[in-house]
Amino acid sequence: MSGYRIELLTVGSEFFCPAEQPILKAMMQLGVKGIPSGCHGGGCGVCKIRVVEGQVRADSMSRAKISEAEERDNIYLACRALPLSPLTIEPLERLDRPLRKYGLI
Amino acid sequence: MGVMRIGHVNLRVMDMDAALRHYRDVLGLLVQGSDDSGAFYLKGWDEWDKYSVMLSPSDRAGMNHVAYKVEYDSDLDLFKDRLAEHGVDALLEPASHLPFCGRSLRFSLPSGHEMYLYADKERVGKAVGDQNPDPWPDGLKGAGAHWLDHVALQCPFDPEKGVNTVADNCRLLREALGFYLSEQVLVGPDADIQAVAFLFRTSTPHDIAFLPAPTCGIHHASFFLDGWSDVLKAADVMAKNRVKIDVTPTRHGITRGETIYFFDPSGNRNETFAGLGYLAQPDMPPITWTEENLWRGIFYHTGEAHDSFTSVYT
Repeated sequence: MSGYRIELLTVGSEFFCPAEQPILKAMMQLGVKGIPSGCHGGGCGVCKIRVVEGQVRADSMSRAKISEAEERDNIYLACRALPLSPLTIEPLERLDRPLRKYGLI
Repeated sequence: MGVMRIGHVNLRVMDMDAALRHYRDVLGLLVQGSDDSGAFYLKGWDEWDKYSVMLSPSDRAGMNHVAYKVEYDSDLDLFKDRLAEHGVDALLEPASHLPFCGRSLRFSLPSGHEMYLYADKERVGKAVGDQNPDPWPDGLKGAGAHWLDHVALQCPFDPEKGVNTVADNCRLLREALGFYLSEQVLVGPDADIQAVAFLFRTSTPHDIAFLPAPTCGIHHASFFLDGWSDVLKAADVMAKNRVKIDVTPTRHGITRGETIYFFDPSGNRNETFAGLGYLAQPDMPPITWTEENLWRGIFYHTGEAHDSFTSVYT
């Protein structure tokens, strides 16, 4: 199967992503942690990453979550980004809330 | 007179072909047509009005508006006045402003969501007809959802800054629109902050839910199934179709509903919701969940927090 190594900065892990699979899905299937997992449809924005090295192609991402300026700055949603080369990426969001004041929020 | 039920939800989708495969082939809604703007209209087989889901092409996910159906056209004038008494400026829109509908009343909830009331929508009938009908139609796809059941909305909530639009919405719907409170969650040191509110106009536990969030959004749109075996089958359909499931089949404490949470291809959360819960009536004492039990209210079996439930929405 063709694919590429993905290096996750800040958490220091690495995993293999098939060429035709979104980065987030590949990470989840291997049980690797590091990028928050949300809607997997490019809508909610929690899996925001910066591609530090390498090339990706991206399916539709919510313009409310990734601005044109961010896209020019190599910021993507990991659920919509497929690797075109080996990648070094940096997760930009945290899903866990260190402080929940009111149970839900 | 008064609000009868949820009429439709208008969702934004980023890939219409993928959205149609989801709502038609996975949820089993029936496509009723499209318009020049590229929007598609769908209904459940058990619904009689032309559509309960309007999908609009967009560069982002989320909800444009939610609409509730009232019994009489004159209710719209009455509710315009009642909303004005509560400081909400509602606008009467002409027929066809809401596609395939008569005139409508348009306003914003305190949470920022756009809501409509309308009395008339083109009627197409149930898939089984209304003469000696069979209990279900042949040829249903996927989960074969009966109808759009409710929406749950994410409402700006920051009590320390004096912001609680869950409570504001709840008050407005009870006082101006005649909704009843079925269940609520009260939080905070004095257990006096309303963080969750479920309201109804039908005889089911909720026709709308308000949840606390950092920003305005939609938490989910929910579709009705008969019972637990239908919920299991719906999950199988989702797995077959590689739908992203957020929460596999389980039970809510709040409403007693049997549920699956999952996402459409643009990331809008859907729910399939089974069981009518209990008979909700105007004189039923509202149920209160306390902060330490609120996750049992949400996911009865585990009773534990599920991060994506609160943080992931469109």
